[in-house]
Amino acid sequence: MVVRGLQAVSKAQNGIGAFVLQCKRLEFNYCEMSGSSRGMKAFLKTRLATFAKENPGVEIVVSPRAKKHPIIRGSYINKREKVVCVRNLEVLQVLQKAELLRDASGAKIKKINKPVQSLNDSVRGIWSPYHAKADDVYKV
Amino acid sequence: MRRVSRSTWDSLTVPRRCVCGNPIRFNDLLSSSFSTSSSSSSSPSSSSSASTTSTCRPTSIPTIRPSLKPRTSRPFSTTSSLAVVPSLLPTQSAKLAALHGRLGLPNKYPLATLGRALIDPTAEPQHHLNNDGLSNLGNVLLGYYTSEYLMVQYPRLPYEILKTAMNGYVGPQALSAVGTGWGVEAAFAPGETVDPGLLQFNRVAPGTPLYKVQGGVGFNIPRKRNRMVPNFENNPSVDAILANESPEMRAAREAQRPGQDATTLELAMASFVRAAVAGVYLHNGGLPFTKEFVHAHILSRKLDIDKLFQFEQPTRELSRLCVREGFQQPIARLEKETGRYSRHAVFIVGVYSGEEKLGEGQGSSLPEAKIKAAISALKGWYLYSPVSGADLPSKTDGQPNLPFKPAVIDVGDIVS
Repeated sequence: MVVRGLQAVSKAQNGIGAFVLQCKRLEFNYCEMSGSSRGMKAFLKTRLATFAKENPGVEIVVSPRAKKHPIIRGSYINKREKVVCVRNLEVLQVLQKAELLRDASGAKIKKINKPVQSLNDSVRGIWSPYHAKADDVYKV
Repeated sequence: MRRVSRSTWDSLTVPRRCVCGNPIRFNDLLSSSFSTSSSSSSSPSSSSSASTTSTCRPTSIPTIRPSLKPRTSRPFSTTSSLAVVPSLLPTQSAKLAALHGRLGLPNKYPLATLGRALIDPTAEPQHHLNNDGLSNLGNVLLGYYTSEYLMVQYPRLPYEILKTAMNGYVGPQALSAVGTGWGVEAAFAPGETVDPGLLQFNRVAPGTPLYKVQGGVGFNIPRKRNRMVPNFENNPSVDAILANESPEMRAAREAQRPGQDATTLELAMASFVRAAVAGVYLHNGGLPFTKEFVHAHILSRKLDIDKLFQFEQPTRELSRLCVREGFQQPIARLEKETGRYSRHAVFIVGVYSGEEKLGEGQGSSLPEAKIKAAISALKGWYLYSPVSGADLPSKTDGQPNLPFKPAVIDVGDIVS
């Protein structure tokens, strides 16, 4: 046998080809009694059905959570969760938070210093002193 | 003693859920799941029939569940009568509807098919209820589109590399990653109360040698934690394990055959993805839509073909290639060097056929640089891709009159 194959597995590039929304589940928790859930309850009554129809890829769960502030909990494909407390927020503010969680990737927030992130090798290659012109080589 | 899956608890304890704008009535959901559990535990007839059917199946692989009860929930309507009322129909599952929406599938792709694709043969042995047939169909479709894409894109790829690249795109590991990337979760154990939106399969017990699982490779022996380098005491070879086998274990092993009793998450997930592709073919409108789906979800992934090569004798192979193609014999020439007598010598060698430079390599010794130059030349040959591009043969599926530009057909691998 002349040449053998080294096993490798293809890597995902979400958005190249198909885009899969990373938020897979949004859970809305509210309290029946407390006043901090007022906006959340109004959101559930007036806006949630439309929101769910607009986002068919997100599983929507509503459940009471007594004697606690209302929260929205987003579960993501990378197995992480993101929780936002929406106490005392108005309907539209709750909607904004829900959209924030829907659009999030679920990845841990980190500072991105490089302007480009890529799986491809650099086109230019690694700089080599033996291929550079004599003028460009730093002379000791 | 019935095991209750985690998703069952979800369905019991999370009473109010909306299925994408269509809220399920709280009472219906709860009463049906309660009636399911009570009838399955109380009625002796159903349990006895379950035990008789379970004895027919081969019990070869130790599984987490000691006795596998056949599923009674139907992913879609069947003519046979149901012993137990299913707890949740596919159309009632929020998870399944969300998966359907996440993949952007059209309404004509029924939830029942997607639900059936999530049921592995290890969870449901009856072929008209599990994803066995769909998975086989999807496998053929995936193989078709992936192989034609690779052959047209890289007409000179050696057969071994073609196989490896196919495995990299549509092998079980890759497809399992695709399924995980779709957000598919697995049920703890298969059962009638499991949400239809979860992948159902029978897990192999921890420590079971994977070579006993159909399609599995290896021994699944747990390594010590934080041990980066495999040590051979903890990962003995097949021969060492078979040599130390006790007579009872040997008899048990020989009595067993690799069956479909249990499988791993990776294999079950891969089989789901294949079945989902088959569903696209069956419901979305045939081959053109399947091609679009496969290109969007599978072939758009990143796989570096040039990193799949492992040459045994690259200089010899390059020489044979030049003989076959009628080029002049390749000659390696030293182009630049530095620090020949130092610790960090660098040599740059180019390999030439007459006046033509075929490749270049850089190494810390002359043979290394020469070999790298030969590898670079061979990769330049094998990874040839037509600049103007060619049409995929599947372009004319269903439309035979379309203009078609055929691909390059290479004479084949180099035989030495």
